[in-house]
Amino acid sequence: MRQELFIQSAVAISPQLSFDRNNFLKPAVYQQNGKLFAVDIEYRNYISPVAIRRMSRIMQMTISTAMEALKVAGISSPDAIITGTGRGGVTDMEHFVKDMIRLDEGPMNPTQFIQSTYNSPNGWIAMQSTSTGYNQTYVHRGSSFELALLDAQMMMAETGEPLHILAGCFDELTEEYYFIRGKRDYWKKPAIPTNELYQHGDTPGTIAGEGTAFFVLSNRPGNAVAKIVDLRILYNAKEQNLHALIKNTLDEAGLAPEAISLVLIGDNGDSRQRAYYQDLTTLFPEDVLGRFKHLSGEFDTAMGFAVWLAEHIIRTGIVPEECQNNRKTESDIRHILILNHYILGTASILLMSRS
Amino acid sequence: MSAAPDKIVVTARGIISSLGIGHEAHIAAIRAEESGLRYPEILSTRHAREFVLGEVRMDNPGLMAHLGIPPNAPGYTRTTLLSMCAMQDLLKEVPLEVLRNGNLALINANTVGGMSVVENMYLSFLEEHTPEELCQWLDTLDCAESTEHIARFFGLKPAMATISTACSSSANSMIVGARMLRHGLADFVIAGGGDALSRFTLNGFNSLKNLDRDPCKPFDEHRNGLNLGEGAGYVLLERESSALERGARILAVLSGFSNHNDAYHPTAPSPDGSGALRTMKGALEHAGLAASEIDYINAHGTATLNNDLAEGKAIQDLWEGRPPAFSSTKAFTGHTLAAAGVVEAILSIGAMHSGWILPNLNNSSPMQELSIRATIQGSSGNLKNVMSNSFGFGGNNVSLIFSKL
Repeated sequence: MRQELFIQSAVAISPQLSFDRNNFLKPAVYQQNGKLFAVDIEYRNYISPVAIRRMSRIMQMTISTAMEALKVAGISSPDAIITGTGRGGVTDMEHFVKDMIRLDEGPMNPTQFIQSTYNSPNGWIAMQSTSTGYNQTYVHRGSSFELALLDAQMMMAETGEPLHILAGCFDELTEEYYFIRGKRDYWKKPAIPTNELYQHGDTPGTIAGEGTAFFVLSNRPGNAVAKIVDLRILYNAKEQNLHALIKNTLDEAGLAPEAISLVLIGDNGDSRQRAYYQDLTTLFPEDVLGRFKHLSGEFDTAMGFAVWLAEHIIRTGIVPEECQNNRKTESDIRHILILNHYILGTASILLMSRS
Repeated sequence: MSAAPDKIVVTARGIISSLGIGHEAHIAAIRAEESGLRYPEILSTRHAREFVLGEVRMDNPGLMAHLGIPPNAPGYTRTTLLSMCAMQDLLKEVPLEVLRNGNLALINANTVGGMSVVENMYLSFLEEHTPEELCQWLDTLDCAESTEHIARFFGLKPAMATISTACSSSANSMIVGARMLRHGLADFVIAGGGDALSRFTLNGFNSLKNLDRDPCKPFDEHRNGLNLGEGAGYVLLERESSALERGARILAVLSGFSNHNDAYHPTAPSPDGSGALRTMKGALEHAGLAASEIDYINAHGTATLNNDLAEGKAIQDLWEGRPPAFSSTKAFTGHTLAAAGVVEAILSIGAMHSGWILPNLNNSSPMQELSIRATIQGSSGNLKNVMSNSFGFGGNNVSLIFSKL
């Protein structure tokens, strides 16, 4: 959908040092075993000591990211809270289901049950920010965060009034999840060092990741340095013509391919999914292609990290060398195109421009 | 959200619950005051003789046979099967070709994906060697699994979304679907959701100590908790102009809706009912209707101590002590969780069509905190505008208003 979303704040907890963006990639964080867990922050700065004691790590990550995004934007209570998550509170779900089996359905801990509910973080964020407005949670695998953004776009189009929407995503990686989905050939076997992801592009599988990202979005420019201009969600990506959709996205924005400073692609190093990004050089010069999944790992809402990264690049005016090997010249970064896909067949196109 | 000139209308519906398949079976059971609650015979649980549940009276092979799926076909969770049965029922009211050829969106909802199946094999997922026949279920825990299954099974290629906001999930599907129609993102929307009973959910609610062992008593002084149920439902939404153009029968207008958060507590509603009040007011405002124009409210009415007090107070306040007929149908179906919003929307539309106000079972003592009382006996009435409430964990509150054209 074409609808501008001005990004008033962008905050991410990721496997990289992203929460304090001044430290981003100083240095880049890589792991030897193909699993990129997020770098923890001091969650007690955002959640009361009483509440935090019984709270799972993903709840702490999600609430902290959301509250920091509100703080940076200077918004105490957003008009709406919209999130996407592929897997929700995985740790709590795992504990609850195993306890249930082990205890033969005996007395159980309700906290884990409550926190495994997909919209549990939404409720907490609403409480902490006293936000009684619209509240929504999308759980559609690799489209979850994109659907949250689409909903935000619809809301903006529904009113002329100034609106501040908190939109975000959260997904956690657990050892158990990694082990189980490994049986579906999600990951590289054997596991590889994460910095070598793209040297293994001729074999199946990828590396695992996790993270949270939250954004305060508005229909007014405010202090935004970047805006989301267009978003396309592909539900049957294999059958859809990605090139035609990219061209259409650019045409409708009145942009020639040369106007795109960076094409951030969601290549996850899996040989079975390379087709999504094939022949992109017929549309764009090789040196504008950049990658991010060796930094975030692959997960349902890795798109949240990509949007955070694109905003960061527009903000700083620098494309990190970790994202792009062959960059020949630093140029004025005006437009970034994100092309992402997820393991189970969905993809998305997002156009971001300098505000 | 401003009103648009082209109305959003309901032109088909499909439903399955412990009351049977199809809206006619549901309305007939409710008119006969026959509840679907019983001790479970299909869900395998240690608590089978402790809690009555709203269990669909077909096991998984039975559901597969009903859908014409070969008995050994893998990967169909009970959530998916219930959802596909509801979808198949919807197709009695719309030709499949209309959906295949149109610009379609499928907005689905559930709370625990394929947990009803996965919980029985989870430990073997953790073994070094999982038998091959079990590996086919590894991705079925995802909430989107049933959504994508529905699309595949019926040969549809829609835009898709899956929503999970606990007990208001499928009510939210309808809101999102209606908005997609208004924005021209789709011309037809199938909106709804489904949930299957699982030990996970049963033990979860049991750990919260809000399950009644006996049939629940919504809005009764001696209410003692909810009964879980299972089921699925979908409505076909389209713009009025589209329905008129193709000569479709318009069943109802989705004339107003509202989603607000309680911002009060992870699982309990604001005790003064302010969250429910805000949400119902929002739906009236969106529909451009006065409270006095509502003829019937299908309440969320879970029969938990908290919900019925908060919702009852809100209804009492909004209608200044003189509300229209209101009832909870949870004593018929149990609480079907993600499906509850759409199941009750379809029942509300059924009430409107049959001119029959749905009774609230098991209510013999009015709540002392309230001056108002739920409708305990079915009776005829001309229902022009009906409201349906769905209030979920995480303070996720939704009210929908359906109107006669």
